[in-house]
Amino acid sequence: MLRKQHFQKLADIVGEDYFSAEGYMTHLYSHDIAALPGIVNDVLNPHAEAIAQPTTSEVVSNLLKYCKENNIQVVPRGHGTSGYGGALPTKGGLVVEMTRMNEIYNIDKGSMTIEVGAGIIWGKLLELLEDEGLSAAAYPSSAPSSTVGGWIAAGGSGIGSTKYGGIREQVVELEVVLPDGEIIRTSQSEDSVFNEGKTKPFFGGDDSFYWESEESSAPNKESTSLFVDSNGTLGIITKVVMKVIPLRKIKPLTISFPNKEQTMGAMQAILRITQPFYLHFITDEFFGMLKEVGKAPDVAGEWLVLCALEGTDEENDEVAGKIAEAMAMYHGTVESDEIGHHEWDERFYPMRIKRLGPSLAPSEVYVPLERMVDFIDHCYKHFKGERMAMEGAVNHRNEVAVLTWFLDDERRRIPFLFGWYRSLDVINIGIKNGGRAYSIGMWNVAHSRKFYGKEDYTKMAKLKQRTDSKNYLNSHKVFPGPLYLSTRIGLLIMFAAAFVVPIVIMFAWWLAPSVVAAYVPWVVVNDIASFLLWFIVGLGVGFVVQEFANLIPISVVLSIGLPFLRLGRKIFH
Amino acid sequence: MTKPYEPLKIEGLDIEPTVCARCGFCTFVCPAYLDTLWDSQSPRGKLYQLRDLIKNKKKIPADFAARIFNCTLCGACQEICQTNIPLLRFWQLTREEIGNLEEWPEIVNYIDTALQETQNIMEMDQDDRTLWTDMVDDLVEKRTGIKAEVAYFAGCNISFKGTLAHLGENTIKVMDAAGVDFTILGSEEFCCGNPYFVAGGFDKARELAMHNLAALKELGVKTVVFNCPGCHRAFAEEYPHLLGKDSVEGLEFLPFSEFTLRLLKEGKIKFTKNYPHTVAWHDPCELGRHQNIYNPAREVLNAIPGLKLREMKHARNKARCCGGGGLLKGTNPMMSVRISGRRVEEAEKTGAEFIASECPSCTMSFNDGIEHKNSKMKFKDLSQIVVEALGL
Repeated sequence: MLRKQHFQKLADIVGEDYFSAEGYMTHLYSHDIAALPGIVNDVLNPHAEAIAQPTTSEVVSNLLKYCKENNIQVVPRGHGTSGYGGALPTKGGLVVEMTRMNEIYNIDKGSMTIEVGAGIIWGKLLELLEDEGLSAAAYPSSAPSSTVGGWIAAGGSGIGSTKYGGIREQVVELEVVLPDGEIIRTSQSEDSVFNEGKTKPFFGGDDSFYWESEESSAPNKESTSLFVDSNGTLGIITKVVMKVIPLRKIKPLTISFPNKEQTMGAMQAILRITQPFYLHFITDEFFGMLKEVGKAPDVAGEWLVLCALEGTDEENDEVAGKIAEAMAMYHGTVESDEIGHHEWDERFYPMRIKRLGPSLAPSEVYVPLERMVDFIDHCYKHFKGERMAMEGAVNHRNEVAVLTWFLDDERRRIPFLFGWYRSLDVINIGIKNGGRAYSIGMWNVAHSRKFYGKEDYTKMAKLKQRTDSKNYLNSHKVFPGPLYLSTRIGLLIMFAAAFVVPIVIMFAWWLAPSVVAAYVPWVVVNDIASFLLWFIVGLGVGFVVQEFANLIPISVVLSIGLPFLRLGRKIFH
Repeated sequence: MTKPYEPLKIEGLDIEPTVCARCGFCTFVCPAYLDTLWDSQSPRGKLYQLRDLIKNKKKIPADFAARIFNCTLCGACQEICQTNIPLLRFWQLTREEIGNLEEWPEIVNYIDTALQETQNIMEMDQDDRTLWTDMVDDLVEKRTGIKAEVAYFAGCNISFKGTLAHLGENTIKVMDAAGVDFTILGSEEFCCGNPYFVAGGFDKARELAMHNLAALKELGVKTVVFNCPGCHRAFAEEYPHLLGKDSVEGLEFLPFSEFTLRLLKEGKIKFTKNYPHTVAWHDPCELGRHQNIYNPAREVLNAIPGLKLREMKHARNKARCCGGGGLLKGTNPMMSVRISGRRVEEAEKTGAEFIASECPSCTMSFNDGIEHKNSKMKFKDLSQIVVEALGL
């Protein structure tokens, strides 16, 4: 809980103009792209108490140092464009929004790397790189508004990943502010960061907010890699050194197919011919929804594949010819250049169909390309009767990052709550079909150990323990954390128990009076005084229950709740 | 007393905040957000707040109302919107709701009073409507209120602000050079109502619109020419919306660029003189994104011998705002100037000598922005370039 003196001190550290604790402002920084059901909101109580927008690594360091000393929860945030809960505050505290750290510090055309502030927006970066004849090898479909640091923290693959890999493959080195305020370059050896023996820190945090940087040594890939996907739990990423590629021509091909078997077969055939820059598909149901919102092109089949080739005109034309030839076997129709470009331009717009909801329940999971037909069949069977759109983009490991969207309406509170299970079930179905979680954030914490691998997860946990034993930096993400019920929900539980206890006693006397009289004759509600007595006992019971609930990890709550949500959906859908 | 959010509900737009995908694409094209980097100024942030207010049937608080007016209504948010929310209309109707709550900013109330009392935004006597014609007195002397097929509609800014009078003079010179038989309305020209449309005071604009259309029809006008995209949009889009399509039947509304292009194509004017200048073209929001008119000005500029046209990084439907729209100049002048300064910086990168556009509001904004940034660039309205290139 932030107190008055905290607000002033935090504002002093970050600068008055870059700090806010106004109610309307904290409200805006307490959500991400996903709409949460009302009760989930009530239980998780995602509500920031203040926002800081640091402008330098040193300010971040001083913020973290102060927050750690004063046990203030800190939640790092890019631009809030993810939906995995990675940027949601769970115990109040301070949201540290990084968009003011948005500079390009260095462009090195020799090593083909750039160094940027973690808060730079991909869209802006791509524009600036274009002026230099460069481009990012991979960027997210949320590029017009997402930050570089945000994608690194959340992890995943995107446009360009079919050829060049996901964000993990692009990061060369990071500057990270650890939870204790120390600023490190991940070029330090993995031992120095993740184990005990530390080298001299760059900056340990101070009170005068003054700092001079030192030159970094050669990058250590493994140490860097452990911070990618870590959702800001191990530290706040402030600067990024990443790979860039020369700007080349993109030739987008849109190929339409009659069914999923031909679509998936064709995608595998394309990968045998070439490793395109981007290989993406949408299902016929997604196509139908796009048609409803007037965004579907006029094509022969309703299963669409977008295959973007990167190279010179001659190279692209040659490969396109080979692909066109191969597609005949899969009853594929290579659509016009105009449609190809339309689909390429639409690569940033997967949520066009939200208007039909007006809400969407999203989910994302990696599934091996060769298992996609099984996965789709499994989903169709499991979610029979639901309106589900599905799309997927292949990464460099021939896995498909599958994104599903269920149409829903958040204004219908009960069905929307029960429908929430679908997002979690898609991931489970994906894993059953040989897949893996796409990103961890808060909702997929149950998959953390498997996602990172035992060895890396242990290293990460050790660093967390060493630098943030009280778990003040982005708690509940990556590492399980208990529920933190809001006062409102806590009181609700207590009063519910207060009424339930005397009612249960009265009911027991009515149902089995002889049993109660024989064993607990003193448990009785027969007048106002006794009702009040048991009411107070009930309050106590409620208090114990809500305290106990505060010990249960969110991942466990989700696991327990999932079958009930499934059942509820069947009843209320 | 209207019901809460009635303007939005009548047009079925009260659901739009829920339709918003919260993707934030609108944030990094929004001049107000880019000026502050706080989500409270972004379309996404405003929609999120409105979603809760509409859901809980709560009024728009005064501080939020002020933020709603921190917006140039440039339409960049609508252009990039993931879920195709008609944001321009949405913001207009939200402003109407704010008007219903009597929470309009002071400057809007001032304009409202001025329009009610004097039919122009400057609170000046309507008889002074023709002050702008001083330098072209000889060309318009016998043209005020005469019957003609072509009319020039100057608008309040050009009519009353001396620094903008040259836009009107230029247009008159071009018309004269092309031998166009034209008329001007003089004191019968009322404000087009654009400030009301921008502030969401639609009903208040009704009388102004009806008067202007009646005055034009009485003179037998078929084509109305504008230097001001705000006036043009009022006639071409808002009047039919407000009064029905029939109200503008038989009338065509042309921005200066389109009119000039027509004269060029008809051979009534011809650029023969060399004009050795480089020009960075800025698309006015109210012509470009709002009405999808991008090409005529470029065609005119490309027809001028020696002129080199440079495009800015963000051009056409992606053009950044000059900061002058949406009444921002009145509600938050400092923000307006900073926004303009950023657009000037972008223009500087093209290496051009001039920033050019066709809009009195852009003219004012860019002149402020150039001063703010101490830029060496100069701003020229398209009409000025045309007149210089024609040697008039």
